[in-house]
Amino acid sequence: MRLDRGFWTATAVLTVLALIVIFWWVYAPITAIMPEAVDKAAQIDALYRFLAASGSALFVYVVGYIVYFCVAFRRRSSHAADAIGVQIHDSHKLEFWWTLFPFLFVVGLAIISVRIFYGIEPINMPSNSLVVEGLGHQWYYTFRYPGINGEVKQLHLPLNQQVTLHVSSYDVIHSFWVPDMRLKVDMVPGLVNTLTFTPTRTGRYNIVCTEFCGTLHGDMRSGTPNDKAYLFIDTPAQYKSWYDSQQKANANASNEIAVASSSSINLTGGDVAAGKAMFQTKCSACHAVAPFEQKIVGPGLKGVLHDPSHPNLVDGEKATPEDVAKILQNGFSGPLGVMPNQTANGISDKDIANLVAYLNSLK
Amino acid sequence: MAVAAVHSGGIADHIHPEPQGFIRKYVFSIDHKIIGIQYMITAGIFMLLAGALAEMIRAQLMRANGGFMTPDTFNTVFTMHGSTMVWLVIIPLLTGGFGNLVMPVQIGARDVAFPWLNMIAFWIFPVSGLMLYSSFLMGAPAAGWTEYPPMSLQGAPGTSMWCAAIFLVGVGSTMTGMNFLVTILKMRAPGMTFTRMPLFVWGQFVTAPLLMIATTALGAALAALFVQREFGVPFFDPTKGGSPLLWQHMFWFYSHPAVYIMILPAFGMISEIFPTFGRKPIFGYKMIAFSSCAIAILGFMVWAHHMFTSGMAPQLQLPFMVLTMLIAIPTGVKIFSWMATLWGGVLTFSTAMLYSVGFLALFTLGGITGVFLAAVPFDLHAHGTYFIVAHFHYVIAGGSLMGALAGLYFWFPKMTGRMLNETWGKWSFWLYFIGMNGTFLPMHWLGLWGMPRRIAVYDPQFQTWNQIESVFSLVMTAGIILTFVNVLVSMKRGKKSGHNPWDARTLEWQIPSPMPYYNFKHIPSVFATPYDFAEPLPYRGLEEELTDSPPPVPAAH
Amino acid sequence: MAVASVTQAGIVGRHHEEPDQLYVETRELRVQGFLLFMVSDLVLFSSFIFAYLYLRNTGQGWPPPGAPKLDLALAAINSVILFGSGATMHFALENWKHEKFMKFAGWMVSTIVLGAMFLSGQIVEYGKLAVGWGSSGIFGAGFFTLTGMHGFHVFCGIIYLTILLLQAAQGKYTFQKYTGLTLGTLYWHFVDVIWVVLFSIFYLI
Ligand code: HEA
Ligand code: HEA
Ligand code: HEC
Ligand code: CUA
Ligand SMILES: [Cu+2]
Repeated sequence: MRLDRGFWTATAVLTVLALIVIFWWVYAPITAIMPEAVDKAAQIDALYRFLAASGSALFVYVVGYIVYFCVAFRRRSSHAADAIGVQIHDSHKLEFWWTLFPFLFVVGLAIISVRIFYGIEPINMPSNSLVVEGLGHQWYYTFRYPGINGEVKQLHLPLNQQVTLHVSSYDVIHSFWVPDMRLKVDMVPGLVNTLTFTPTRTGRYNIVCTEFCGTLHGDMRSGTPNDKAYLFIDTPAQYKSWYDSQQKANANASNEIAVASSSSINLTGGDVAAGKAMFQTKCSACHAVAPFEQKIVGPGLKGVLHDPSHPNLVDGEKATPEDVAKILQNGFSGPLGVMPNQTANGISDKDIANLVAYLNSLK
Repeated sequence: MAVAAVHSGGIADHIHPEPQGFIRKYVFSIDHKIIGIQYMITAGIFMLLAGALAEMIRAQLMRANGGFMTPDTFNTVFTMHGSTMVWLVIIPLLTGGFGNLVMPVQIGARDVAFPWLNMIAFWIFPVSGLMLYSSFLMGAPAAGWTEYPPMSLQGAPGTSMWCAAIFLVGVGSTMTGMNFLVTILKMRAPGMTFTRMPLFVWGQFVTAPLLMIATTALGAALAALFVQREFGVPFFDPTKGGSPLLWQHMFWFYSHPAVYIMILPAFGMISEIFPTFGRKPIFGYKMIAFSSCAIAILGFMVWAHHMFTSGMAPQLQLPFMVLTMLIAIPTGVKIFSWMATLWGGVLTFSTAMLYSVGFLALFTLGGITGVFLAAVPFDLHAHGTYFIVAHFHYVIAGGSLMGALAGLYFWFPKMTGRMLNETWGKWSFWLYFIGMNGTFLPMHWLGLWGMPRRIAVYDPQFQTWNQIESVFSLVMTAGIILTFVNVLVSMKRGKKSGHNPWDARTLEWQIPSPMPYYNFKHIPSVFATPYDFAEPLPYRGLEEELTDSPPPVPAAH
Repeated sequence: MAVASVTQAGIVGRHHEEPDQLYVETRELRVQGFLLFMVSDLVLFSSFIFAYLYLRNTGQGWPPPGAPKLDLALAAINSVILFGSGATMHFALENWKHEKFMKFAGWMVSTIVLGAMFLSGQIVEYGKLAVGWGSSGIFGAGFFTLTGMHGFHVFCGIIYLTILLLQAAQGKYTFQKYTGLTLGTLYWHFVDVIWVVLFSIFYLI
């Protein structure tokens, strides 16, 4: 049962190989191939280096020993026909260690991953960030900016400004992935998902859809001919001039996103209780039941329809149930940010009637 | 201690009369061995279909802007490739096929608990396979094998056929699971305690509840998708209050355990092959058996690791991440135990052994990348890319399929009484092994570099690697075809194998090849694990199996 | 004694027969197989219950707008009927064990009738709700799917019990060998238990 010289030689060789792959992954020029465009990319790359280094070292050992055993213990011509191997059944010591080591490794990996996870997930919404909305369509992206009417086709973001990106979809599930950001989030109809990050490197980056979305899923990425979206990270000055030009160009565009049925909604029979329940699941992520000034993502909605100091809604029209319904139906993008439309929010006409009744009941 | 085959007059001695006539013998047979072979043949045919579809994928991806077929065709092609490979090839092959062929004999039984149910379960399988392929006539499903709504709600009418077909395969799987569970619990030969069962039986024993429980849950999901599509019942439609994420939860609650359905029997197979060709007891028998149970239980608690980017609550992601990582521990115990089994052995590299060693290496790589994916921040980058495709082909094509091929080379003599050609077998292994790595290794960096999966066209910078992959996929296919040819030729012309060509020690090798319809003339009794090569065989009551003494008299009905 | 009750029932063929080894072992297999079948049936129900609760707790508030009001009183009466049938089924099997064929048959018939009454009650309730499966939103997705599945189980159960009763009358089971009847009872109790869960999630919470 003793381990012979060959075993220790093999171990030494494998250790050298393992150290080589570890060094390779620690110093691999990842950013030379794929730059890190936002702050969080570096954290994910660090995790990747750790995984790749430890994973390939582990792989080197496992496969190395397999190969070594296969060579060292192959049947030789000197073996009798009925030769048998070493008759051991187990070794509790060995089993203990090879359960403990993976366990410790997994615990360590879990701790590292959890810490990076908390650095990445938008668990606490930052308060002073630029809020942009990204929308998936079959098979392109659009974006909505506070203060720009309508939807724009390109995503421009200013350098070093924290960004909150809300994404949703009009039709099927898409996904928003910028490989150079190392971040991705699905665009699910009826659900608003969020990414937060701060761009740290100017340039033009690809946006890619990774969630299968139908015939032209493969075309839903930057670089395809029909003016597909890129992410541009601009200097603040460049961003400003782009923003102004878009604002001008879109001055007459409607903020109301065209939806299939723009027919006005029948508001009779709205149910306050149902509206309240709906509000808590669909709206309270962005709106507080509080005065207008108390903003989460959108303004506080307490008394929207009965607030003498806020006679007109954000779309400039008089606060009437009909106008609130219009905002809920079509969405709105104004100076405060972007409010998703009916489809993106996943609410029915009936829900809108209930919500309006509820909002109307808040005095 | 162990009682020598007592004549109990119970179920163990209940023998079906020898089937007469072609139909009862080979078509509607209730003999588990014939049913096992029927599963293998059917799964083999579907493997050719699914493999041909895979080659079509690779043909399309030869050039950055595709051109081999339209994007719509391409979408149906990879959907059918994935669905067929999972439900009509790997799962039936490993459970219905090898499970039926070997497991009842290994526990010293004359058949499974419910032979009729077994036959029905088998016949559901080709029928549902035909149904799945008939969906081509009405517009085949095209939303991936995962069929996420709302995409699958837009899909062609064939998508509903897909639901129905997969539902039916699932019914068959559930039946098989119940059947195997009862068989293993109740029909072991005297003395065959749980700690003396061959490890392949353990593999089937742990897989059976997964088959039963997870597959039924999938049935519910499929039924819901079906009624949503056909009757507009809004389970998954967000515009009517339904939730697309609900489908993902329901689907993955099945499909994660399903990946262990696809691997646990293969684990069992190589646990038989290593001792046999190393002339050495399996190392850590109990830990291997126990870790299978741990994997199966943990397997039910990790499904949401497929949904890290989907918008699930962040706090929910953490437990799923940690539980997923924990699966590496029992799996590692197995890998290390197999390595220790190799150590100090006298290793004969037959084809079965080569495939098993290949399994060990490639599955480890796929498993390690699986642990990468479990780390949420890394998955945020890798999800939905070719990195995923690389991960699961390493565990499936490198693990499950290689395990199945190892099993085929190992048990073929038992099925037919003839050997497969070993020279061709070794060629097939090397072609497969090299082709497999050439096809799927580059997918790792392609994915991380920015190439999403399920695309018919891609950015030009990925083209070179894709061409390399496509070429290697032909090498891999050559390996598989060689095995198919080997089977067809050896069935008729192969060298006669005798009853125990590998000098193996489990019960099935102690009876003639091909196995007689009654399996054992006398039910043996068992008094140790089958892996002690220094000891005589741990069975009593097998003396007459290889003699000319008359077969037992069938019970009168 | 057994012979006496057989002649009393006027049925020939149910002679006294001690269960042999083969029978005992086969019974174990059948009972275990049947239990596993019920486990997987339970998983089927659980999946839909999960789906219902998931839809209920994500998305909109509950009840969703436009959901019809359920009639608690009707459902409560109906539940009592179903639970009653569980009791009668129990008596039926007990009487069989005590070799009283006529009483067994009587209780079986009452079980079947109660089951049929439950189904009719269900149909009345569907009628009163007056919405279709597809057009009733996620409320209907949960309610009609689950109660419909359960109703289908009751329906199958009625047929199943009828067959068992006929078989018993023809002498297929003896007072010592009656695995089929045990399984039928198990099935019927299972359908009862499922209803307890469904009743609570639809009418009580
Ligand atoms: C046979 C099939 C099979 C098997 C066995 C596995 C095994 C594992 N899989 Fe895999 N997986 C799939 C088939 C399989 N998978 C498929 C088909 C998909 C894609 C589905 C789709 O979207 O289409 C997928 C996708 C998938 C994802 C989702 C990725 C995404 O879509 O974003 C994740 C994430 O956690 C994952 C993780 C794992 C893990 C942790 C294991 C573990 O069980 C692996 C454990 C094994 C090891 C770790 C190696 C051996 C261990 C050691 C040598 C010990 C020491 C090691 C350590 C301590 C690290 N898999
Ligand atoms: C379950 C097992 C399994 C197996 C064994 C395989 C085997 C193979 N797969 Fe598989 N694959 C999946 C399961 C599997 N796959 C799944 C689940 C998906 C995801 C689908 C989805 O996204 O929805 C997928 C997706 C997938 C993709 C990604 C598609 C995309 O995202 O766009 C690719 C691309 O190369 C690919 C290639 C291959 C190749 C080359 C093989 C090779 O190993 C195949 C080797 C060849 C054979 C086994 C047959 C050999 C014979 C012939 C070819 C001759 C045919 C001729 C006659 C009819 C006589 N597969
Ligand atoms: C992704 C965040 C988000 C969600 C979810 C959201 N809103 Fe808004 N909402 C906004 C923003 C941002 C504005 C301000 C738009 C602007 O003026 O630029 C807004 C504006 C409004 C206004 C106009 C307020 C005013 O005082 O003029 C109303 C009314 C409103 N939202 C109601 C709702 C209701 C009801 C829901 C739920 C169905 C909802 N919102 C969901 C972000 C959101
Ligand atoms: Cu959009 Cu894929
Ligand atoms: Cu999984």
